[in-house]
Amino acid sequence: MIMRARLALFIPILAGMLWAQTPQWNPPKTAWGDPDLQGMWPGNMGVPLQRPESQGTRTSLTDAEFAQKEARAKQQADADRQSTAASDSVGIGPPSYWVERGTPTRQTSLIIDPPNGRLPPLTAEEQELRKTARGGKGFPGAWRGEADSYEDLNIYYRCITRGVLGSIIPVIYNNGNEILQAPGLVIMRNEMIHETRVIPLDGRPHLNSAIRQYMGDSRGHWEGNTLVIETTNFTDKDALGSNGAGYPGDPGHHSADLKLTERLTRVDAGTLNYQATVDDPKTWTKPWTILIVLKRNEHYQLLEYACHEGNIAMSDILSGARAGEQKESK
Amino acid sequence: MRTWVLRIAVGVGLLFATIPAWAHHAFEAEFDKNKPVHLTGKVTDMEWINPHSWIHIDVTNPDGTVTNWMVECGSPNIMLRRGFTKRSLETGTEITVQGYQAKNGTFRANGSSVTFKDGKKLFVGGSNPDLPDEQK
Repeated sequence: MIMRARLALFIPILAGMLWAQTPQWNPPKTAWGDPDLQGMWPGNMGVPLQRPESQGTRTSLTDAEFAQKEARAKQQADADRQSTAASDSVGIGPPSYWVERGTPTRQTSLIIDPPNGRLPPLTAEEQELRKTARGGKGFPGAWRGEADSYEDLNIYYRCITRGVLGSIIPVIYNNGNEILQAPGLVIMRNEMIHETRVIPLDGRPHLNSAIRQYMGDSRGHWEGNTLVIETTNFTDKDALGSNGAGYPGDPGHHSADLKLTERLTRVDAGTLNYQATVDDPKTWTKPWTILIVLKRNEHYQLLEYACHEGNIAMSDILSGARAGEQKESK
Repeated sequence: MRTWVLRIAVGVGLLFATIPAWAHHAFEAEFDKNKPVHLTGKVTDMEWINPHSWIHIDVTNPDGTVTNWMVECGSPNIMLRRGFTKRSLETGTEITVQGYQAKNGTFRANGSSVTFKDGKKLFVGGSNPDLPDEQK
């Protein structure tokens, strides 16, 4: 009897699990019959690009790890409130109310392939290039103290772009993404740094390979309810990552041969799974894939981010370096 | 002795205990951690520009002359999402700023701490216009 009762309990649970693993949800269609992905899909800061090695191939935090993450988030929110209320401490970092924090989730890393959630090794060629680029200075990544020219500062500092992937990987602010559709076109807008990609779906070929662009050249098509976007024609002056510039822990520089394949699937009314596979055999020994879970937020406003025009910091950095040299020469 | 209000803070070591978070630019690329400033003055302008906003204040020096300082704040986008509006800081409001002067020696500083005359903090967080009502 007990056995039968256990079985009776088990079967609905198993059925429920199977149901949960086979999403049956179909997105609404546009007037011209495409799956409708339109709307505001802001990113949620807080999932690391690479998984800590201790978590192995586990894609979800344990209850204990998640509780710890939530506790840290609460602690941070309290600290933010302190810094906007009573505290009078002065640090060299920006005040904590400058940044977005995100809502904790269980995802252990943005990278879902390789299964260990970590970037594959760089090729020998790329390792050498990263050492020898620009006469041994390396690629301009995180600021390392040099400011001989604006070219010593990465293209994010220079307000140019964060590239396709860097524009969507959530960071400390400006995580807005908007999707708009028209017959034969999908438009992807990113708040950082006010990027807009107009992506044709009509099967036209990519641009001539001699034409290279920071945001590449994107072509889309539908595979069932999934929008697949293939992007080529990149430059090698860009970088991949949470800031498109090679900060510590970021993937950094890529070659002009990069092929990026994005797969966008609405898995329920409020959730859009954004997957992107980076295939650049000159740079990484294997392709790698990230997953960003985007939540619909119709209240979100995509604000303008005219970064270059007001980039006073750039002139301050260059003139500050000159002032430092003068001081040293005295 | 230059006359604008520039105090060397006591316990400098304590000031650097905070690990700087990344904003658009690294603090140390632009500002001089050896030049802490403590400024009190009246707001003359607020530049709502990206990637960082700038508050302009007139600071009266001990000799009676006036220096116009620029104070760097966060991106207008995040400030708006944190509840800051164009009405939050009227021209003529007296504020106190603690921060660090730009390395190039101009009258520019970061605004690590910005308070009103009555001690109230300038940036009051909590109201995020992008959050659905039930999450506010």
